[in-house]
Amino acid sequence: MTIIAQGLSAKRSGRTILHPTTVDIKPGERVGLVGASGSGKSTLGHALIDALRAGGTRVAHVPQSPDEALDPLRSMAFHWREAEQALGLAGDDARRLQLFDALQIAGGDLGKRPWGWSRGMQQRFVIAMALIGTPDLLVMDEPTSALDPVVAAGTMDLLDLYLTDRETALLLITHDLGLAAKRVSRLMVMDTGRIVEDAPTARFLSAPQTQAAQALCAHRNWLELPC
Amino acid sequence: MIRIAADLILRAFVVLTGVALATFALLWHAPGDPALSIAEARYGTVVSKEVLDFIRAEAGFDTGFWTAFWAWLSPLLAGDFGQSSVTGRAVWPDLMTAMSYTLPLALVSLAIGLAISVPLALIATRRPGSWMDRGAVALASVGVAIPAFWLGLLLILLFAVQLGWLPAMGADTRAHAVLPALTLALGVAASLTRIIRSGILEARTQVFLPAFRRRGIPPRNIARDHVAPHAAIPVITVLGLELAFLLEGLVVVEVIFARPGLGSFLVNAIYARDFPKVQAVVLLAAVIFVIVNLAIDLIYRSLDPRMDGRNA
Repeated sequence: MTIIAQGLSAKRSGRTILHPTTVDIKPGERVGLVGASGSGKSTLGHALIDALRAGGTRVAHVPQSPDEALDPLRSMAFHWREAEQALGLAGDDARRLQLFDALQIAGGDLGKRPWGWSRGMQQRFVIAMALIGTPDLLVMDEPTSALDPVVAAGTMDLLDLYLTDRETALLLITHDLGLAAKRVSRLMVMDTGRIVEDAPTARFLSAPQTQAAQALCAHRNWLELPC
Repeated sequence: MIRIAADLILRAFVVLTGVALATFALLWHAPGDPALSIAEARYGTVVSKEVLDFIRAEAGFDTGFWTAFWAWLSPLLAGDFGQSSVTGRAVWPDLMTAMSYTLPLALVSLAIGLAISVPLALIATRRPGSWMDRGAVALASVGVAIPAFWLGLLLILLFAVQLGWLPAMGADTRAHAVLPALTLALGVAASLTRIIRSGILEARTQVFLPAFRRRGIPPRNIARDHVAPHAAIPVITVLGLELAFLLEGLVVVEVIFARPGLGSFLVNAIYARDFPKVQAVVLLAAVIFVIVNLAIDLIYRSLDPRMDGRNA
């Protein structure tokens, strides 16, 4: 069933930072949400998560940096157990190992606190944690900007592989068109709190319609990046 | 672990040596003739020069600072606190008697202080900036600003003189401990409320908290498992300093309420220039301070293992 959220909007200090917006995503679809910094991407992402969760859709969120997802005073095991409990799941070691294998973090020591793991492993742990309950939608907000390009590419490859043939849809929020172009089949462009363009990735890259999209496409050196 | 323990013990040794030397030097160089003070305390009357000379020789005042310091320190290293210059009685048993009055008072005050400050801080931080919050902050500021000697007198005036509910002087019954404990506790509560409140508000700004809410973790659990531990770190740190204020307050409060205890013991000893007694109290206070701070250091490290890079 297609995920639809209508009338998403947001204000901050009396100023509209997100105009009423509707987002629809098909099961298993990979969608990119791109735009310049401050265009309202993350705001839309947060509004979408809150609205979908209120409507009963299973939606998981991966923030920009593991620092924004993990408590430095708590062990990785604690985070995992807590995430399972939040979903009302009993501890399932088989499921955990499946996800850990998929994201190649099975060697990590769960008794350690986040800073005992490398940042790349922390971020993959956060992604694994987001996938525990097999969500309908995974929202990733600049998921690789805190990682070096090689680790970032590796992480996205593992996630790509895991999501193949699964129902979980992906919304990738990024200012990095290179990352989005390689990973998603459909791109939405945001500019000053509105989605101004929504097109399949190939068409978007070959013929951007709006000024904001053209500006993003103008800097073509992003295609050289590994991720 | 051994390295940390050795480091802590070394620090404790340096602090205690410094405290012993500083106290001795202060008493030694205080204006007036110490022998005269001791004679007055001992005999309560004017005495002849021969008696003063005798006291000087007995207390080692005629030998020079370092000799006298060493004469006091060397038995102490063997655990002997010496005898009072005034009464000739051993210092240690009297010191323990004084402690038996002071320690319960200090602990009860700290407990009451915590019992007031924790709920007050929780109420205040429920809605930061609300009138409840402002009220709690104002109350705490006033509480910090009021000195113990004044608050103690106010409480005596109200509860002992006007209302006649509680006794003001002495330490005969438990009721005698109520006003002194309140005097100390209100000061402790005031400063702890401010610290706990700001600790909670600071902990709530941790960058990872929004992600925890989006993960569907109940707000109660977030508060208990993630906000509280982060809020506890500054509170634990300050508890050690709080103890110093408490010790200081105890001296004043015991004198005001005419309670026997470490404070009265110390003040009387200072008046009489009773070196061994003063030194004993100051050293004991320093030892307590060092031990408490050591404990706090260990709690702090277990709470936040980032301190010494230990993980897991």
